[in-house]
Amino acid sequence: MRPHDSRALWIGVLILACLLSWVGSAQADPLPRDSREAAVFRGGLVFANYCVTCHGINADGNGRAARLYEPRPANLRITDKNDAYLGLIVKLGGQAMGRSPFMPPWGAELTEEQMRDIVAYVRSLNLRADATP
Amino acid sequence: MQFHPKRASAGCVIVTATCLFAGLPAQAAEHVLAQKGKAFSVKKLQVKVGDTVKFVNEDPFAHNVFSLSDAKSFDLGSFGQGGSKTITFDKPGTIEVECAVHPDMRMVIEVGK
Repeated sequence: MRPHDSRALWIGVLILACLLSWVGSAQADPLPRDSREAAVFRGGLVFANYCVTCHGINADGNGRAARLYEPRPANLRITDKNDAYLGLIVKLGGQAMGRSPFMPPWGAELTEEQMRDIVAYVRSLNLRADATP
Repeated sequence: MQFHPKRASAGCVIVTATCLFAGLPAQAAEHVLAQKGKAFSVKKLQVKVGDTVKFVNEDPFAHNVFSLSDAKSFDLGSFGQGGSKTITFDKPGTIEVECAVHPDMRMVIEVGK
């Protein structure tokens, strides 16, 4: 399977999961747009489209392009950065933050809401007990 | 028929130079590709080994150029409007080029001998 197909497959799986969830809870109240759950869900979709190439579908830094880089893309599941710092890295890129120049600046590509959603999604995956939101 | 030493010398120089340069490989070319409207200006490009390709960002936002192809793996990084990056292809093969910022931006470079 080609790498592009893999990305499309994951996006398809996410959309399918969304539809199944919606069908199963058609009578339930929809998620409020500004809820954390909604942000995490939206962030997962944005992440699957823009971030998986380097950070991987599991956000562990093992995307298909990871082998090109030294330092490797960050393992976001164990990051110790808070939400504000993560948001700045996403918006301004790695170079502006004194980190890897290969992390692009997403501020001109994504909306403020999309960038907040990515941070919410990454936070939802974090395995560190001592991480500070 | 008269013999003209100056003309004969000039002829020798021309013949010698022709023989010398005929043995050299063709000069490497530079191909210029634009990134505009979230797309590469061509979907497919044929180049020769030793040629360079220059990617010029003509959009008002950042682009990136990278490839994970076996023939050449690279990441030229991200660069803003008016910026450019150049890469030389040193062996034959098929190189799929992508932009990390815009996942739908793709093109192929065929590097021939």
